[in-house]
Amino acid sequence: MSLIVTLIFLSSGLFLGWSMGANDASNAFRTAVATRMIRFSTAAFLCSAFVIIGAVTSGAGAAEGLGQLGAINTLPGAFTAALAAALTVAWMSKLGLPASTSQAVVGSIIGWNLFSGSPTDLGTLGRIAATWVVSPVLGAIFAMLLYKLLVEWIRLTRPHLLSLDRNTRTGLILAGVFGSYAIGANGIGNVMGFFVEASPFRDLSLGRFSVSSVEQLFLIGGIAVAVGVYTYSRRVMMTVGDSLMTLSPLGAFVVVVSHSLVLFIFSSTALESLLAGWGLPTIPLLPVSGSQAVIGSVLGIGLLQGLKGVRQIRWGVLGGIASGWITTPLIAAVMGFVLLFVVQNVFGQEVFRAVHP
Amino acid sequence: MPDRNEARQANPVSSETPPLFGKTRFLQGLIEEFLDKISEGVLIVELGLRAYLSPAENLAICEEKLEQAIEIKRRCSELRRTIVTMLYTEMLLPDARGDVLRLLGDLFELLDQMGDDFQELMIVQPRSRPDFTQEFEELSTLAIRCVQAVVLAARTFFRNPEAVRDHINEVRTFEDETDRIALRIRRKIVASGLDFEQRSQLRQEVAMLDGLADMAENISDDLSIYAIKRAL
Repeated sequence: MSLIVTLIFLSSGLFLGWSMGANDASNAFRTAVATRMIRFSTAAFLCSAFVIIGAVTSGAGAAEGLGQLGAINTLPGAFTAALAAALTVAWMSKLGLPASTSQAVVGSIIGWNLFSGSPTDLGTLGRIAATWVVSPVLGAIFAMLLYKLLVEWIRLTRPHLLSLDRNTRTGLILAGVFGSYAIGANGIGNVMGFFVEASPFRDLSLGRFSVSSVEQLFLIGGIAVAVGVYTYSRRVMMTVGDSLMTLSPLGAFVVVVSHSLVLFIFSSTALESLLAGWGLPTIPLLPVSGSQAVIGSVLGIGLLQGLKGVRQIRWGVLGGIASGWITTPLIAAVMGFVLLFVVQNVFGQEVFRAVHP
Repeated sequence: MPDRNEARQANPVSSETPPLFGKTRFLQGLIEEFLDKISEGVLIVELGLRAYLSPAENLAICEEKLEQAIEIKRRCSELRRTIVTMLYTEMLLPDARGDVLRLLGDLFELLDQMGDDFQELMIVQPRSRPDFTQEFEELSTLAIRCVQAVVLAARTFFRNPEAVRDHINEVRTFEDETDRIALRIRRKIVASGLDFEQRSQLRQEVAMLDGLADMAENISDDLSIYAIKRAL
């Protein structure tokens, strides 16, 4: 297959990556930039660099989990499924409805499974659906614990207002870097997971270093995310009016760290081996929605402040977001099914290869 | 061993060159120095007012305190400008920068007003007013304590915003007391047999002292909002 054809087929994944860079990746640095604690150029550089590092070094774990849901085995099929997910996210964003990339991806894979007659691994689907509940809950728990600890520490040490701000700024940078790494490690599965089974690349060996085809795929996906960060995320970062709750810089720091921790535990193979080594149950490596983790973390901080915090939460916004969690996979599944039909019957492409047991 | 304030007075932070690193600590030092100067200015004006109101008519002391107050005002103005420039150019404190600058500006305005009022009083030479000495001393003491309480509240804001409320309550109490005494003096002035010029001057002096407490209370109202915004 020529390079141009390969790139055409990968373009939908790159579009999805760009869209993730523009929307989801901004979670790591949004408040820091919006409150002018960090310059956009600094945030964009750090975010892009660490998304790529995270994607290449740790992206395999979560992507493998997604592969268990449905192994799309042809490049045109992967292209169409990724396109369906990207269009769903873009369309819902255009309508002003919040959409999660990972949910759109799950929906479009199920659409492919239905179209190709492949069985959907209900166990994996159940685990993924469970993360949609677990990740916001975990985010809330992490945020509550972290926020409480930090507040107690500040009350104890009483730092000068300027020192506190300087430390918060440093914390936001470090948390943003960690968040970007976690987004790269966990989110790349959403962007390039479609193409893992049908990767057009071959393993490369450069002396002592070897780069697998999947790592090459993730590198390209990471670059697409980075382009999204540089070209469009500024606008998203500066839009804070529709946020769930107004946060202080300290609250923002806690939200970024909690969100990053949630993404990290669902994508870290090292943590999985560690837990397995201790004989503890492991956490499934799956791509989870960063936005859900952020929402859970914000709610956690709000609930921690009691009735005052509960009143500050914009419940209407939350209702809109929650409804998007149900409609996004459904729309992506339907769109995936329709697009696969069009690509197969109008463009004559092989969107799936029948696998005989 | 000299305490921190003595050390700071001997080597003010503002006399140092801004460092390449550690700008936050340097700026903290400047803000502390600014607040020290404001406190010092309030004390100087208080001493000047005491001399002005004393039956002994200490003109020389009044002149000396006025000179000192003017010098402190000049120094505070310089410090404020340096702080403003650093806060903006170094992108320090972006979240609360506006509040901090407004607070420092208001405190400077308060000191400036105190100095101007004292200068205004000095234009009319101090004169003995035996019938009103005690009331004026009471009024000036309360007005100055009100101003001191707001400076203390401002200092607390930088370290412990949640404790600002305690000092603000003090400011309000002193301001209420100042109003009460000012009213009492005004009534006494009107009822006195003094000529019109003397009554006008005394009423002006009451208004000046009462105005200082009002200014301090206004600053404390704004400060309470800044503290709520920073509360954890």
